Amino acid sequence: MQTGPEIEHPEDTRRGFLKRLIGFIAALNGLVLGILLAKYLLGPPSAAGNKQWSRITELDSLPEGQPIEIRFQARSDEAYLHTLEIRSIWAIKKASGDVTVFSPVCTHLGCHYHWDPQTDHFECPCHASVFDVAGKVLSGPAPRSLDTLPVKTENGELFIQWERYKAGTSEKINV
Amino acid sequence: MFSFVWKWINDRWPLSPVIRWSLDEEITGGPRFVYADGSAVLIVFLLQALTGVMQIFFYVPSVDHAYNSISFLRTEIPFGWLIHGLHYWGANLMIVLIALHMLRVFIWGAYKNPRQLTWLMGVALVLITMAFSMTGAPLHWDQRGYWAGEVGSSIAATTPVVGDLAKRMLRGGEEMGPLALSRFFVVHTAILPGSLLAIFMLHFISFRRFGSVGPWDQFKRKITGAFWPEQAFKDTIAGTAIFLFMIFLTAYYPPVYSGQADTLDTSYIPKAEWNFLFLYQALKYFEGPLEPVGTVGVPAFIVSLLVLLPFIDRNPEHDPFKRPFAMLCGLVFVGAILTLTLIGYYSPGFAQAPANGPSAQVRPLPAQTPAVAPAIKEIGPAAVAEKAPEKLAGPAAAVIGSAERGAMLFKNICSSCHGQAGTGKVPNPGSEEGKVPALAPIEKSIFNKDPRLFAENIDKYIQHGSVPEGQKPALTMPAFGDSNSLTQQEIANIEAYIMGLNNVDRAAIINPGIQPRLFFWLVSGLYVLFALIIMGNTRKNNDYIDDSAQGGTKKCRQ
Repeated sequence: MQTGPEIEHPEDTRRGFLKRLIGFIAALNGLVLGILLAKYLLGPPSAAGNKQWSRITELDSLPEGQPIEIRFQARSDEAYLHTLEIRSIWAIKKASGDVTVFSPVCTHLGCHYHWDPQTDHFECPCHASVFDVAGKVLSGPAPRSLDTLPVKTENGELFIQWERYKAGTSEKINV
Repeated sequence: MFSFVWKWINDRWPLSPVIRWSLDEEITGGPRFVYADGSAVLIVFLLQALTGVMQIFFYVPSVDHAYNSISFLRTEIPFGWLIHGLHYWGANLMIVLIALHMLRVFIWGAYKNPRQLTWLMGVALVLITMAFSMTGAPLHWDQRGYWAGEVGSSIAATTPVVGDLAKRMLRGGEEMGPLALSRFFVVHTAILPGSLLAIFMLHFISFRRFGSVGPWDQFKRKITGAFWPEQAFKDTIAGTAIFLFMIFLTAYYPPVYSGQADTLDTSYIPKAEWNFLFLYQALKYFEGPLEPVGTVGVPAFIVSLLVLLPFIDRNPEHDPFKRPFAMLCGLVFVGAILTLTLIGYYSPGFAQAPANGPSAQVRPLPAQTPAVAPAIKEIGPAAVAEKAPEKLAGPAAAVIGSAERGAMLFKNICSSCHGQAGTGKVPNPGSEEGKVPALAPIEKSIFNKDPRLFAENIDKYIQHGSVPEGQKPALTMPAFGDSNSLTQQEIANIEAYIMGLNNVDRAAIINPGIQPRLFFWLVSGLYVLFALIIMGNTRKNNDYIDDSAQGGTKKCRQ
């Protein structure tokens, strides 16, 4: 506008100015809507807190040194769904009486693995990741050991906190 | 680069002519803000489409999740409150803007030859918008929407001969249930938007064919101006102002939670949405066998009147002052609709509300002598205190109830023991405390600042009841949920009310993104700042922008 008003017809300058202004206002509206829509679609921040201890079973009922899959019921609060849900974990009682609990989710891509008593290994059916009884990766694409869950024992009973971790990362990241 | 792409496209597709065709319009009499009314409707519709699609990312069209998924969207998704609120207010505003647009078209005589088709498409668009309004409300599956859908589809059923078929077609069955919700959803989100866009294109094409009708004053008609960019600029300003106004309404007047749909709650008096109030009121004047006249006859008459208008009124004159009879008819028409709307608004509804709130006679009320839930009686008070099996909160805890409806229920059901507004002090002989615990303020272990956890804590008591510690308490808390004496929806409403007594809003926004009112002022500030920068720049650089000799563009700098 400043460069050549003397060669442009005033009417053209005015119209050019209006066109630019429409563009600016539209961009401003788009910006306001765009930012908030992006935040909206990213969804709520991950729900921190509200971690409840779920009672799993009595310690005495666990076999020693042998992983066992245990199912238990817990309240699940996912978005607008508040339901009772059956979940499963893998528990291993050591000779010392300490219990290790693994999340049943493979650290590679989130499949559910199983225990092969023949080889004494955990094996994931999806991409053949193999873990030893302590959860360490023996072979396959899994990027980290099996995820352990927080455990506590009280009055001879086993309690755990249900957590989920990101699959596919070498770090154990809570989601 | 740009010109290359431009040329490449234009060699293959007539982009340039299409843009020129849709933008190049000479406006007789020059651009005016009052002509922005049509564009305003379009802009609001586009916002509706955007916010509507955005809501489907979270909304679930199923009777058991619809209400909670909307509550979740409004309270836990950043800016969910805004998306939902914009859609709600946009729906209302769109009807207002369409009414104003029709009124202007009528006054300017823009329905006259050769613009009859533009008018007819417009009438179709009005009907589609009303259908949007009709099908949108039930999607909430709240009290307001459920009854709107119930009554709306029942009205269709009163059509002679085909009524029952029409109702079944709308509901997918006899009842307002899951199948009905699916139908309302499909119609609202697929069929109507498609129809509206298609007919809008026809409306727009026929409008561009003959252009704006312009002022009736012969002197003013000598001036002309262009749609692009003069009128488009005014439209942009109007659209932005409306957008800001919608944010204001959403921030300061968020849609009310009317509670989850509950057919048992007979105290709820369904009333038509404001835009249907005139039909609702007209309906009241036709009783018994004449009912179809009100339900079908009146709307059909109004629609026929609108459709036939350009054929009845063939007078080519545009000046409203030279069309006194047409103007008088228009005035009577608008006046009748406004009057009926106002009477409808202030009328108490078809069924008079019971004087003291919810119908106490149908509900098994806990009498002064307590009706202890059988399960608790068996366990006995001591067992409850010692080692009760952990009881979880019921479905009501997850529902954002209506505190207003909860207040009525509380007054009838809870206040005899817990006192007026939960202030307690009602004696309970035989209990350790000697009186019924007050609910305002509520016991510390139950209170929680997080409305979701607070609701869960209260819910356990209302669902499963409780027996106070002591030898032989005269009063015990009945298990309202377990004994089915209250619906889950009613329990949710009562919870919302009790939480309100403790200064916790059940519908509090947990993840707002930015707090609603702050957001409004931030955006307003942004626009003001923008306007100041533009004005400052123009003052410095040019003087001739104000030169409005060529057209009515005096306000172009705002």
